[in-house]
Amino acid sequence: MKKIKEFFRYDNIGLLFILPAFIYMAYFVGYPIISNIVLSLKDVSVRNLANGQQNFIGFANYAEILSDEVFRKALVNTLVFTVSCLVFQFLIGFLLALLFNKRFKIAKPVRGLLMIPWMMPMTVTALMFKFMFSTDVGIINYMLKCLGIIQENIEWLTTPGTAMAAVVMANIWIGIPFNTILISTGLTTIPQELYESASVDGANKLQKLLNITIPLLKPTIESILVLGFIYTFKVYDLVYVMTEGGPVNSTHLLSTYSYKLSFDMFQYSKGSAVANVLFVILLLVGMLYIRITMKGEEE
Amino acid sequence: MESERRLSKRENIICCIVALALLIVLLFPLFWTFVTSLKTEQEIFQIPPTWYPHVLNTKSYAAQIETGDFNMFSSFFNSFVISIGAMLIAVALAVPASYAIARYKFKGRKFMLLFFLVSQMLPVSVLLTPMFIMFKGMHVYNTWASAILADATIGIPFSVLILKNYFASIPAALEEAAYIDGCTRISAFFRILVPVAKPGVIVCAVFSFLYAWGDLAYGMTFILDQQKRPITAGIFNFMGQYGTKWSYLTAFAIVAIIPVVLIFVFMQKYIISGMTNGAVKG
Repeated sequence: MKKIKEFFRYDNIGLLFILPAFIYMAYFVGYPIISNIVLSLKDVSVRNLANGQQNFIGFANYAEILSDEVFRKALVNTLVFTVSCLVFQFLIGFLLALLFNKRFKIAKPVRGLLMIPWMMPMTVTALMFKFMFSTDVGIINYMLKCLGIIQENIEWLTTPGTAMAAVVMANIWIGIPFNTILISTGLTTIPQELYESASVDGANKLQKLLNITIPLLKPTIESILVLGFIYTFKVYDLVYVMTEGGPVNSTHLLSTYSYKLSFDMFQYSKGSAVANVLFVILLLVGMLYIRITMKGEEE
Repeated sequence: MESERRLSKRENIICCIVALALLIVLLFPLFWTFVTSLKTEQEIFQIPPTWYPHVLNTKSYAAQIETGDFNMFSSFFNSFVISIGAMLIAVALAVPASYAIARYKFKGRKFMLLFFLVSQMLPVSVLLTPMFIMFKGMHVYNTWASAILADATIGIPFSVLILKNYFASIPAALEEAAYIDGCTRISAFFRILVPVAKPGVIVCAVFSFLYAWGDLAYGMTFILDQQKRPITAGIFNFMGQYGTKWSYLTAFAIVAIIPVVLIFVFMQKYIISGMTNGAVKG
């Protein structure tokens, strides 16, 4: 008893505060991570989920998904989806941040309103874009026709290439606010004197952007891109609601394919193998994020 | 750039016009959804489209409180219970945990911090099947509790990582003064520190609620009965059955974002603080 008291006297009293949260997360997240790994090494499907006769089959599931064409397609799709979203939402966010950091009258309230897309349930966003991209009633086809860009209605969500473009655009719409607000915050940390003295030296706007703004924003840009990658790479609801991975698997991401394997086709082990591949890629990129965050911890 | 410089009158006007134009373009999907939800099914299919409802149709909203397939009111209520439940768990657990990380160098601190960081990056697909099996074993499968327990796991790591910055910024002297006045660790935490960190606690509550409100995967996978499912799953279900009933679908969408808009109106500053704190400083 005395020993226990002694143990919790100084810094270890922190454990009393953190353990409830840690135990909760270890039970509901840590344990599932491990059991997902175990699951991916077994042969579990709807046949033997309940009866307990589940054999270990080593890496057979991984070998199987590697030779699975849909998996390879989903992997490529996930990369294409993530990179195209990141590039556009970052560039648009950057331009918006530059604009909204000018001190004009309605800057703050307008910037605030632009945050709404980020807060919305993805299911709702998916619904809205599905409606706007629909072939006959879609406002996007109508507008493109009015502008004379297309003659015939495009079947956005039922043609492979355009379906991917549509989900990418919907996700960019969600990502813009996040990029805008973070870059905007980063911009305010740059000392104004730098710009003033650059002006004195005769630097023009572009030179100031390239030589002051971008180099000083580097840490912000790094964390935005890494976090953006993590958030985008695991997007699930948006694509699942808009296309369910179709047409002909052209918009299947690792996340949607994993869900489909487990909960539509009841091949739990294959589904969890796909999920683990997704997780490992996220972890590798996440290392960067962890490094950035933990750096602040090493006083 | 050059945010401190005062703008000339002309620049001011140009910026305002550009900003408003951008606002109209970027929020157009919301406007269009709202307008569509008030149109009749006929008018929606009309070409050229009408920019406002010529015949006002509120049936899509009225049907949501009647019985039958078009009833979203109960799903809304389910979502509300689930989100509040997840929020309470997340806040109750994350507030003390973040205080511990900010203030004490206990054994395993780094490991736990790392664990929270990693769990924030987890894709739902990793957790779905194991949780599914686990909830079946716990007999909470197909109840609100399953979605509440699962949704809280999104809010907890986010809240811990945000709140630790708030606690770290509170001067140590404040805490020491409380001990001198006879407070114990626990009472100082509840009576002094939590009230000072209140803005941070609100940020966590708001985000935990929003994460749970937006969840589809957990609600859809762990709850089978339509009567118990959250609104996101209800909408998804309805889309599968009546894919082109856009008047109803858009009305559901508007109803589903009511809490989001309310939170935005009343708590905007907390949202922005949560987005920036959570991401950059970690």
